[in-house]
Amino acid sequence: MNSRPTPPAEDELDLIAQAQQGDKHAFGELVRRHREGVVNVVYRLCGDTHLAEDAAQEAFIRAWQHLPSYRPRAPFRHWVVRIATHSALDVLRRQRETEDVDEVMLASPDDGPEDTVEGEERGERVRQAVLALPAASRAVLVLREYEGLSYREIADTLDIPVGTVMSRLNYARSRLRETLAPYLEVL
Amino acid sequence: MNGHVNSWLGAYRDGELHGRRLQQVKAHLAHCAACRAELEQLRALGTLLQASPAAEGFTPPERFVAQVGLRLARRPERPAWQRTLGIGWRLAPLGLLGTWAFVQAVFAMSGAVLLALELGLGGSLAARWLPATPPALGLADVLSLTEISLNDGLRIVWQLLAQGGPLGWVATWNVGFLVVIGLAYWAWLASWWARRQHRQAQVALNLAKVRKPSQGSQ
Repeated sequence: MNSRPTPPAEDELDLIAQAQQGDKHAFGELVRRHREGVVNVVYRLCGDTHLAEDAAQEAFIRAWQHLPSYRPRAPFRHWVVRIATHSALDVLRRQRETEDVDEVMLASPDDGPEDTVEGEERGERVRQAVLALPAASRAVLVLREYEGLSYREIADTLDIPVGTVMSRLNYARSRLRETLAPYLEVL
Repeated sequence: MNGHVNSWLGAYRDGELHGRRLQQVKAHLAHCAACRAELEQLRALGTLLQASPAAEGFTPPERFVAQVGLRLARRPERPAWQRTLGIGWRLAPLGLLGTWAFVQAVFAMSGAVLLALELGLGGSLAARWLPATPPALGLADVLSLTEISLNDGLRIVWQLLAQGGPLGWVATWNVGFLVVIGLAYWAWLASWWARRQHRQAQVALNLAKVRKPSQGSQ
């Protein structure tokens, strides 16, 4: 998961070219290939499967609409992830008007991992801890840890300086290390 | 400043440090147990995050693709006025053909009516509608005039123009329409070809831009 993104494959470039000419079947194949990755990134951002799928679909629709202007300098997936991230952040901003996403209830780390069922429980705690991060830091962390983007790519995706990427990432990791300390000790 | 490199450890772990900064962090880690321990914590955190499973229960891939496809169909990728313009553009040759057919039909009908009137089939209508003008000067008449003065020549040209040219008004208009419609069609064809070439060149350029670095990195 943490590997560097590779340039688009030859056949993907052909699919993109066909889709740019209006071929919906070619675009459908692109959606099929990248659906899982895009949905997962958005899910890590918002923590809701329905919301993640809606934002991912919205991202693909916007990608279709802007496809004629797409220049495949960066991988297609990064381009869609960029759109999806903005969609998800928009949703989170709207959501924050009614509830504070940063106030997601976390189970007390004092419970200790020995009192919980390993695996599922730990995964859920990690997910909750990530969701408890401020949206800006969470986006940077998700793009780095789950999408494997470089700092430069994250900066381009979120329209922020590379220095800000680094500081937000440091902040996110620092908070996660505190929140997930019991799990880090047993690793 | 405590001399530690905590703030750079994340970037070091991500492989984002280069040059002097990288050497500085490496040198520091070689003799600082605290920073090494923190780096290990960061690596452990990365492992923990990666181990966190993605959610389940998403829409099956085929259904997801179909849903996106349906929304593509419902949402125009271009504004309505642009789509209308595009459809009009594609139908332009049909419009030109229709115009040509209409003009031909009008000329054929009017020609038939005039012929009928000249043959006396229209009765009193012929006397009312047909102008009492001298017979038209045809092209053969003009060509047969070999010895004419300058004034006569100008007079003949003027008379020809007044009659709509050596072929008459009907034929001149007919040829004129045909030329205009033909020119419009060729202009459309040239424009279509130019746009197609431009689009293909754009796609080829984009593909070349990406293939170059990707080939270089292999």
